[in-house]
Amino acid sequence: MKNRAWWFLIPSLAVMSLSAFIPLMTVINYAQYTVFPGSAPQFVGMENFVEVFQDSVFIGSLGRQVLFSFEVLLIEIPLGLGIALALPKKGKWVGWSLVLLGVPLLIPWNVVGIIWRVFTRSDLGAVPKIFQWLGYGGYNAASNPGDAWWTVVTMDVWHWTPLVVLLCYAGIQAIPEEFYRAAKIDGASAWAKFRYVTLPKLKHALILAVLLRFMDSFKIYAEPFQLTGGGPGNSTTFLSIYTSRKAIGGFNMGMGAAISIVYFFLVILLSWLLYTIMLNVGGGSSK
Amino acid sequence: MSKIELRNITHIYESGGEKTQAVKDVNLTLEEGTSNALIGPSGCGKTTLLNIISGLLTPTEGKVLIDGEDVTELPPQDRDVAQVFQFPVVYDSMDVYGNLAFPLRNRDVPKEEIKERVQETAELLGLVDKLHDNPGNFGPEWSQLVSLGRGIIRHDTTALLFDEPMTDVDPGRKLTLRRRISQAQQRLKVTSLYVTHDQHEALTFADKAAVMNQGQIVQYGSPEKLYEQPVSTFVGNFIGSPGMNFIDCVATDSKLKVGSFEIPISDEIKDLLDPSWTSLQVGIRPYQIDIADEQREDKPISTTVTLTEHLGSYRIITLKLPEIDKEIKAEVPLDEQVEVGDEKFIGLNQENIRLFHEGQAIENGGE
Ligand SMILES: Nc1ncnc2c1ncn2[C@@H]1O[C@H](COP(=O)(O)OP(=O)(O)OP(=O)(O)O)[C@@H](O)[C@H]1O
Ligand SMILES: [Mg+2]
Repeated sequence: MKNRAWWFLIPSLAVMSLSAFIPLMTVINYAQYTVFPGSAPQFVGMENFVEVFQDSVFIGSLGRQVLFSFEVLLIEIPLGLGIALALPKKGKWVGWSLVLLGVPLLIPWNVVGIIWRVFTRSDLGAVPKIFQWLGYGGYNAASNPGDAWWTVVTMDVWHWTPLVVLLCYAGIQAIPEEFYRAAKIDGASAWAKFRYVTLPKLKHALILAVLLRFMDSFKIYAEPFQLTGGGPGNSTTFLSIYTSRKAIGGFNMGMGAAISIVYFFLVILLSWLLYTIMLNVGGGSSK
Repeated sequence: MSKIELRNITHIYESGGEKTQAVKDVNLTLEEGTSNALIGPSGCGKTTLLNIISGLLTPTEGKVLIDGEDVTELPPQDRDVAQVFQFPVVYDSMDVYGNLAFPLRNRDVPKEEIKERVQETAELLGLVDKLHDNPGNFGPEWSQLVSLGRGIIRHDTTALLFDEPMTDVDPGRKLTLRRRISQAQQRLKVTSLYVTHDQHEALTFADKAAVMNQGQIVQYGSPEKLYEQPVSTFVGNFIGSPGMNFIDCVATDSKLKVGSFEIPISDEIKDLLDPSWTSLQVGIRPYQIDIADEQREDKPISTTVTLTEHLGSYRIITLKLPEIDKEIKAEVPLDEQVEVGDEKFIGLNQENIRLFHEGQAIENGGE
């Protein structure tokens, strides 16, 4: 290594190895043992992995997880883009709108859970009252799986759509005015301007938004945990809740480790898939 | 192929309570099929004027006429004016074909016709073998051609506007792009207006050039006219490099004096002088200053050489007139012996000089 620059990487590599590499190695090691606190670890090889894939609760959680992430993306991305397009581009309202939008992002995750638990309480929450007023009297997130599910989806949309808005808004602001001038001269309709100028120019912002929202929603934990603890039944038991239940609740560290690894590779695989697909839509600009 | 007329155009930008008058009472007529240039220093309102012609801006006051028809309130897509911007615009979500076809598709032109016209335009601009490339990867010179192509593909293009299209183009590629633009312009005979702050570019491209300063068109005429008969010291200085020299002179009893030397002037010009004027400027182009080693009747003014600059096929020297403490520039052939510190004698010949009062030319050379 002739290049001196490599030396400057040492501090960050050291931090990375402490924070990522060493724990990962430990987890991979754990995954091959049956580990219960207080007794000696027993080597079981791939058995934990086999067991994971045979567990119907895991399969159920995975299915819910994928469904949840896609629902959330399908709502948040178009909604976020729409709001970003509707925001004023300049003037005194810009600052106010951005601050207002940023509020959900600034609230700590546990507070988000508490807020929504209060909102949806069947005895005094606002949400059941509103539904009642709208003619749906039976809303109860604690006992009705459908209600719990859509409440978690709503929580996520409320919490994270502003992030999509901010990413898109920054992207929109970066598009040079000349493109719209040229499009005007070329006689482009509003739709054509959106389709051939705005959307292609936002491609990278959108890819970033999709990936961030995908990875984050795929790891959702706090919202369902705070709302119903993953219930009613298993209706809002997502992968992270399942994992912690196994590892911490069930004291089965080896099993927990195996699930974590499967989980880890799933996130990478699906993110890569999304990234590749998105990079290749829209033709010409893929280079 | 249309006549473009600007009538008393004024434009004021308002942003955050601040008003900027970018264009002031401009009148300009571009005759059908001519190529014109618009030159002026940065911030003088060139882009604003162009955007008013294309319809991207509605002027605060005044009218835009295309073939006599008032189009002031028409949006750009209904004016059929093509505009090439300083910053090259290509739609990188489409290939070159898609880019060229874009204005036609927006107007619902039938597919077959689009195909024909794309082919035709690509041939004219030398884009045929690039039709299926992504223009997002092009350098600025090709991007500008694609951009021009989108403008001229409409058969009814009334005018072609260029806003400093060479800004981002490599010096070595400028010539090719300029030639392509000129070719297209000549073939299509579209009325065109080419904005630049490079006078060489303007004078080689255009039949006529308009010089703009601080929101106003100060002179509009052929390149020769702008060079030989500038209407003001601004134009004289702006056109030509180096620009015209201006030497202050004093008028007494209808005589003009630079220091202690009297400048001979014709009776015609004498008649134009207002007796109340006490000071005037004599304008003379650097190439019209001849120097001599000895004082002679036609070269009475003593000067000292303070700088010599070698400019390839000639030299520009700076001469100091000690009596009035003024420096002027002269163009001299390479074989002329000149050293810094030399004393040289010059004359202000009446055929070569132009007189200005408070920056305005005294005779306008018969407009
Ligand atoms: N959108 C705007 N809002 C406010 N003022 C503006 C705006 N656009 C231009 N101006 C001002 O109007 C004046 C003329 O601007 P314009 O862009 O027409 O000049 P220009 O001759 O094209 O300059 P350049 O050679 O730098 O392109 C400048 O003083 C500029 O600051
Ligand atoms: Mg400009």
